[in-house]
Amino acid sequence: MRSTHAFVLCALGAVLSVSVPVSSQIAQAPAVKRSAPQPARLPDGKPNWTGFWDLPNGFLEAYRGPAGISGPSRGGGEGRGAVNVPLAQRPTRVPEMKSPYKERYEALLKQAAAGTLPDPGALCLPQGMPGMMGAIYGMEILQTPKIIAISSEFKAGTRRIWMDEKTHPAADELEETFVGHSIGRWEGDVLVVDTVGIRADVGLGGRPPLPHSSKMRIIERFRQTAPGMLVDEITFDDSEAYVASWTETRSYRYRADLKLQEFVCLENNRNVDERGVATFK
Amino acid sequence: MRTPHMVIVAVALVTLAIPVAAHHSFAAFDQSRQVTIKGEVTEFQWTNPHAWLQVKVKAANGEDQEWSFEMISPSVLRRMGWTKASVKPGDTVTVVANPARDGKYAGLMLSVTDAAGRAIGGPAQ
Repeated sequence: MRSTHAFVLCALGAVLSVSVPVSSQIAQAPAVKRSAPQPARLPDGKPNWTGFWDLPNGFLEAYRGPAGISGPSRGGGEGRGAVNVPLAQRPTRVPEMKSPYKERYEALLKQAAAGTLPDPGALCLPQGMPGMMGAIYGMEILQTPKIIAISSEFKAGTRRIWMDEKTHPAADELEETFVGHSIGRWEGDVLVVDTVGIRADVGLGGRPPLPHSSKMRIIERFRQTAPGMLVDEITFDDSEAYVASWTETRSYRYRADLKLQEFVCLENNRNVDERGVATFK
Repeated sequence: MRTPHMVIVAVALVTLAIPVAAHHSFAAFDQSRQVTIKGEVTEFQWTNPHAWLQVKVKAANGEDQEWSFEMISPSVLRRMGWTKASVKPGDTVTVVANPARDGKYAGLMLSVTDAAGRAIGGPAQ
């Protein structure tokens, strides 16, 4: 068992997965330019988060390879290549699962260790929830009084938060989808979003992905912590698959200088086989 | 709270993080090795989910090789100073890449310079 410090560093490396300049000819990134401040309020007085957001320490900021691929991690050797290390080999822990999810997950760990884990994402299936909130290429928020839409540039996924609905559809009418059914309400300046109906085959992220049941509920609390900074506190509640609920947070940074761009994954997915494994023909 | 604080941190990283900054694993490339390839651009595929640079190389044994270099998405490359016109067929380039594990003429691009030795593209903005 590694020390806590080492384990956090390694986990961070896995997330950042990235890059310092691989060539001395490449200049350091200049400070982020913001061409305009984030507008603080909508006419109805609600916080205004419309616009493009990226990760304060995430992909766009951390990615330094001039061609956009990889390089040594900022955090040292641990991060490099860690993106491809099966989870079973990572010094991380996962929430305690109940049977049969625990056994299914253990089987996936074995597949990952053997290099035979299918990768539906590489087949261009959507990320869904909560993966799209990882926003590795940034995300766009559009607010109207009745709908708040969040679009991830990566995989071009959009979720809609229905602000004018108080309840979810009845169980026999609830369609299970990649992003689920989300209803939202304002508690002061905090946006509370309640999501159910996420397909059970949409993993919670990671390799292999953490499983969940179709009963999973996600409660998010979005709040602004500083000008141009947004935090999403995400609580996962799935008593069928997990012993206890848990909460994660994700932070975003407003980028007036960026716009969401098109990402059609199937345009030229040229080196992925039918299992979602990268190969060369 | 039964779960130690540090475990929660780890879970956060595992669950929300996309484990790679692209849509598939790069395990097909040997990230412990680098190759430097100089040749002539035959095609620049400015496409999602990944851009590709095709480079024709005359090997030391006289063999003509066509190398495929995988890049990140155009949307991200644009933010790094690339455009669809950054390279064009006929350009001489030198590419540093992690080679494919299976020995095919393919690599994960790390950097590329033009005929004058200038880096193409830059850091993300």
